[in-house]
Amino acid sequence: MDFRPSSAQQLLVSTAREFLKKHCPPERAQQIALDSRGFDETLWGRMAELGWQGLLIPPDLGGSGGSLLDVIVLVEEMGRASTPGPFVPSAVVATALLLAAGSADHKKRLLPAMATGETIVSVALDDAGNTLVLDARGRLRGRALFVESAHVAHALIVAADAGDDRRVVLLPADRRGVERRPLDAIGPEKLFEVACDGVSVVAEEWLEPATARRVALQAGALARTAEMVGAAQRVLELAVEHAKTRVQGGRPIGGHQAIQHACADLVRDVDASRGLLYAAAWRASEGAAPAADVAMAKAYASEACLAVARRGHQIFGAIGYCEEHPLHLLHKRILAASVDCGDLATHLEQIARAIGLRA
Amino acid sequence: MEFGFSAAEQAFADEVRAFLRDNPLDRFPLDGMDAGYGSGAHSRAFMKALGERGWISMCWPESFGGRAEPMFFKLVLFEELALAGAPFGPLAGSWQTADAIIDYGTERLRREVLPAIARGEATFWQGYSEPDAGSDLLALKTEARRDDDHYVIRGHKIWSSHAGIATHGLVFTRTSREARRSRGFSMFVVPNGTPGMDIRPIRSLTGGVYHYEVFLDDVRVPVELMLGPEGEGFQALLNGLDSDRFWGRFYKAPALERVLRRLVDHANATGASADAGLRRRLAAMAAELAALRVLFYRAACLLRDGAPITYETAVAKIYADETGQKLARLGMDLLGPWAPLRPGSHEARVDGEISHAYLTSLGHTIAGGTAEVLRTTVAVRGLGLPAEPRKA
Repeated sequence: MDFRPSSAQQLLVSTAREFLKKHCPPERAQQIALDSRGFDETLWGRMAELGWQGLLIPPDLGGSGGSLLDVIVLVEEMGRASTPGPFVPSAVVATALLLAAGSADHKKRLLPAMATGETIVSVALDDAGNTLVLDARGRLRGRALFVESAHVAHALIVAADAGDDRRVVLLPADRRGVERRPLDAIGPEKLFEVACDGVSVVAEEWLEPATARRVALQAGALARTAEMVGAAQRVLELAVEHAKTRVQGGRPIGGHQAIQHACADLVRDVDASRGLLYAAAWRASEGAAPAADVAMAKAYASEACLAVARRGHQIFGAIGYCEEHPLHLLHKRILAASVDCGDLATHLEQIARAIGLRA
Repeated sequence: MEFGFSAAEQAFADEVRAFLRDNPLDRFPLDGMDAGYGSGAHSRAFMKALGERGWISMCWPESFGGRAEPMFFKLVLFEELALAGAPFGPLAGSWQTADAIIDYGTERLRREVLPAIARGEATFWQGYSEPDAGSDLLALKTEARRDDDHYVIRGHKIWSSHAGIATHGLVFTRTSREARRSRGFSMFVVPNGTPGMDIRPIRSLTGGVYHYEVFLDDVRVPVELMLGPEGEGFQALLNGLDSDRFWGRFYKAPALERVLRRLVDHANATGASADAGLRRRLAAMAAELAALRVLFYRAACLLRDGAPITYETAVAKIYADETGQKLARLGMDLLGPWAPLRPGSHEARVDGEISHAYLTSLGHTIAGGTAEVLRTTVAVRGLGLPAEPRKA
């Protein structure tokens, strides 16, 4: 057993931290988050130059063939820096899904362009609010909700009912009959309703549904957990720094046990969340993660990292309530990540079944 | 990163499981209360059985009669014993005392005490706390005065677990008055029954006896029974506390997992498992236990690698004890009107184990460093926050 990241992972983390400090400092992250389009092409392009979007993609398809664990440590850094953009849906979820459940043609057509950042793919696999039906004549009707960054996506992967079956289909985002309507969330995430009005889909666009959903949920849940851990880590760092430097009544507030004990709880929540995340991601990278491992990592982090953000507000006091302060963005990132790729109730039910609770 | 167990560790786990299969636990008489930490009750017979297999001394160097197995073998043994609910109460204390004797014990301690530990015969109580020295350990008053080739100990120790049934006390004393508050302390290994030692039980809120108070009235102890250099006892104790928190709590995660499994079985048997709220609480608890395990394994890797520990074992201990309290509370909720029934009571559910766990868990956030003291440790030593001013 060994908790230390490999030297390659350490290099990835230090490179990412430096890069994001320079190209996505808190002020820039703020700016993009508050912008309604909220997509920075330059930043996205620079990330691709570093090979980030191709990290999961094998070398013969234009990527660098990293493991899911490698991607997880990278996404953790993005969470830490509140990096905006469609990285998780496109470079993690859609990429893992296409690799596992796409045809040779899908892979060849999409993955090399996804690795260079030219093509962005978003996913609509959440059952919540999804009314999409694929009829026998290959027409798609209904809508999917909570589709992140659909406005900048070139292709969409959507789940739909098809009679007895559940289909997962890949289609161009600009196909006739597809409409993308923005949802206005409190956080930096750009969410959309994807409505389909008789969109035609051919059999070549079907993906193997069971694998697609399992892989997408696993990779997505781990990546969202990594975002939460990274954001919570940043809240911890900022809160401790504030506790050391904010002086009231002649002493730093961190000299009082009330604040000290709150900070001690932040450490526990972050450390435990990260440990569960790495263990689950390692098992997933080894091809052996039981679904419950991932569910536990995400369910735990959802509670713990949100608690970190909330306690962080209490430590910061009034200044943390301001829009210009980075705390709210980190908090909202945790909130958004906690409900995507399976919310708390979904993952708890998965755990309940895994520990043998009968329905 | 690597989160699996080695082939050797897995093989050893199989060996321990086979032992537990071949030796049903009801064969081992219990002679001391289970205080709920996860190491079960005190059973001399069980300790001797572990000793016969060479498991107590397995990680000691060969020159001390061990097999120099890696530290993780101890974790494997703890995991398997705790998951089975075995009575290995004194084991962590035996291991820690042995390690201290191997590191800096006198020839006499190595010759007389170490082999008795290996056989499972020697077990230890900690004489640290005193009536006026709890969280403020350095306020202790027990003194050891040199008299030729002996020390004469005089004082009053309290909250010493299993003192009445163990074989030796680890008695923390002041051996000189020094300017610096943390200097001048020394530790002694004092055999029970030494003249002048009076050990009295303290009945706990469970109705059972776990703690004792010990009156030391001019107890004469040979110089060779001092453990570690004279006057340096506090530093040794502090170093020991980091690992004390670890070894004294590591088995809590698997032990709580055993309790959770029993609660799941009970919920299934009564149909309570269909309740959505309860399902979520039990599921969230399973995730918390997984998180607890991870915190301990991370600390284990640091200890194994000799990496510095500032807050990691303190965080793990706090979390172990608070999670244990939460699980006991959840268990009481699940049992409803049956919850307060004692072990052995007519109609008790889950063998009355939960009411006992509920009561004993109240002491866990106090013993071995209160949750408050430890949170301060995490903040000051781990995060570098300024310490509150204290009187010298």
